[in-house]
Amino acid sequence: MHIAEGFLPPAHAVAWGIASAPFVVHGVRSLTREVREHPESTLLIGASGAFTFVLSALKLPSVTGSCSHPTGTGLGAILFRPPVMAVLGTITLLFQALLLAHGGLTTLGANVFSMAIVGPWAGYGIYRLLRRLDVPLMVAVFFGAFVADLSTYCVTSVQLALAFPDPSSGFLGALGKFGSIFAVTQIPLAVSEGLLTVLVMRLLVQSSKGELTRLGVFLARKQSGTRTAESAETTAATKTSETTETVVR
Amino acid sequence: MLPIDAAAHSSRWRHRHPVDKAVLGLGLTVLAISLPPWPGAALVLVTALVVMLGPAAVPGRRLWRAYRVPLGFCVTGALPLLLQVGGPDGFVTLAAGGPTRAGELLLRTSAASLGVLLFAFTTPMSDLLPRLVNAGVPAPVVDVALVTYRMSFLLLDSVRRIREAQAARLGHTTRAATWRSLAGLGATAFIRAFDRATRLQAGLAGRGYDGTLRVLVPEARVSARFTLAAGALLAAVAALTFVLERALR
Repeated sequence: MHIAEGFLPPAHAVAWGIASAPFVVHGVRSLTREVREHPESTLLIGASGAFTFVLSALKLPSVTGSCSHPTGTGLGAILFRPPVMAVLGTITLLFQALLLAHGGLTTLGANVFSMAIVGPWAGYGIYRLLRRLDVPLMVAVFFGAFVADLSTYCVTSVQLALAFPDPSSGFLGALGKFGSIFAVTQIPLAVSEGLLTVLVMRLLVQSSKGELTRLGVFLARKQSGTRTAESAETTAATKTSETTETVVR
Repeated sequence: MLPIDAAAHSSRWRHRHPVDKAVLGLGLTVLAISLPPWPGAALVLVTALVVMLGPAAVPGRRLWRAYRVPLGFCVTGALPLLLQVGGPDGFVTLAAGGPTRAGELLLRTSAASLGVLLFAFTTPMSDLLPRLVNAGVPAPVVDVALVTYRMSFLLLDSVRRIREAQAARLGHTTRAATWRSLAGLGATAFIRAFDRATRLQAGLAGRGYDGTLRVLVPEARVSARFTLAAGALLAAVAALTFVLERALR
């Protein structure tokens, strides 16, 4: 859920904007460097942004029977990495505010912090951790998407609780209030998004190995089992497929 | 094209410079969150409505369709303020002053949303994005945003058609089929986005693509008259708020 336009007091809106700025600036710098070195990346990153925008517009059946839309932050972070997601997420949120009236401009900083920074980093962190522990790919993808979705809503609850502390029990009471309201809808939705992300990833692994390799989702691993740090190019992955086993990071 | 952007392209103020409309629309939004909700946000709400339906000639029905989305978020977001957690009367009780706080929040968010909608309904994204370079946004980021914007419509259109095709093949009749269809939809969107990016890249390379996407931006000048009038209107709303606030005390 996006925090609606004008929902946060001015001081909070500015503070969340300042909190988001370093991450977005870092993302912008890495994106600018990437585009300068490889001008053709502009189109691929733009396509990734469009994919993220469209993904967030898909209607997702919740396990409780209701219907909502995925945040797409987990899949986006796994595919495009969190720094790029900070920029793509900001662009997507700006488009959603101006084209769909979802979210807002004064709450852009807060929404970027929850959806484009904390969600992707938390989801990506869990995904990488589970992959390091040799957990099967699809299990790691599920938990990556689940945590990304859930952490987004946890941060949103914190943001709302800070802005609107409970008259009786203060911040903690408000956190419990907003958190429990979100929990009813968002835990089932996070499960749904995790399941959907697994299904999408399964199809992508089958049909788009080239693109996933280009994005660096696939890594080459020597037969001895030691992992190399560099992502393999599509051609390199094909050439070395007999001597190396391609695994997913 | 999305309804708000489509309306912006045929807006009476379409050929005005985005800065003119930003001063008015976003100025109203800033006033809505900065002034006391009563009577400040109420005045902003009325002013924004009068400007949109009057001089800006935004179609009322389109405005309502776009406005009811953030309005729904505002109402659901304001409901928790009616309750308090803890206190002598029970664990969860009605908060003293809750309706006032919820009403003020509702006024503030609905007025702020209208300010942004005024800007969005009169300024097409294609006029705004290229000019962000002048506002200090790095050119590569603007290029990525432009690709994202243009590709989003194509992808949304593809997704709509795929969904129709899936429905025609009974892809949404059962819960399992819905999930399968949704996963296919997400994966196909990814594949199409990257396929389009690759083809665009090949086409641009043939035209001497050097890393910058040059687009024609309709010529427009910042109107000193319009900006001053907008500034005067904002100042009048702020002044009237303080006068009325004192009178209503």
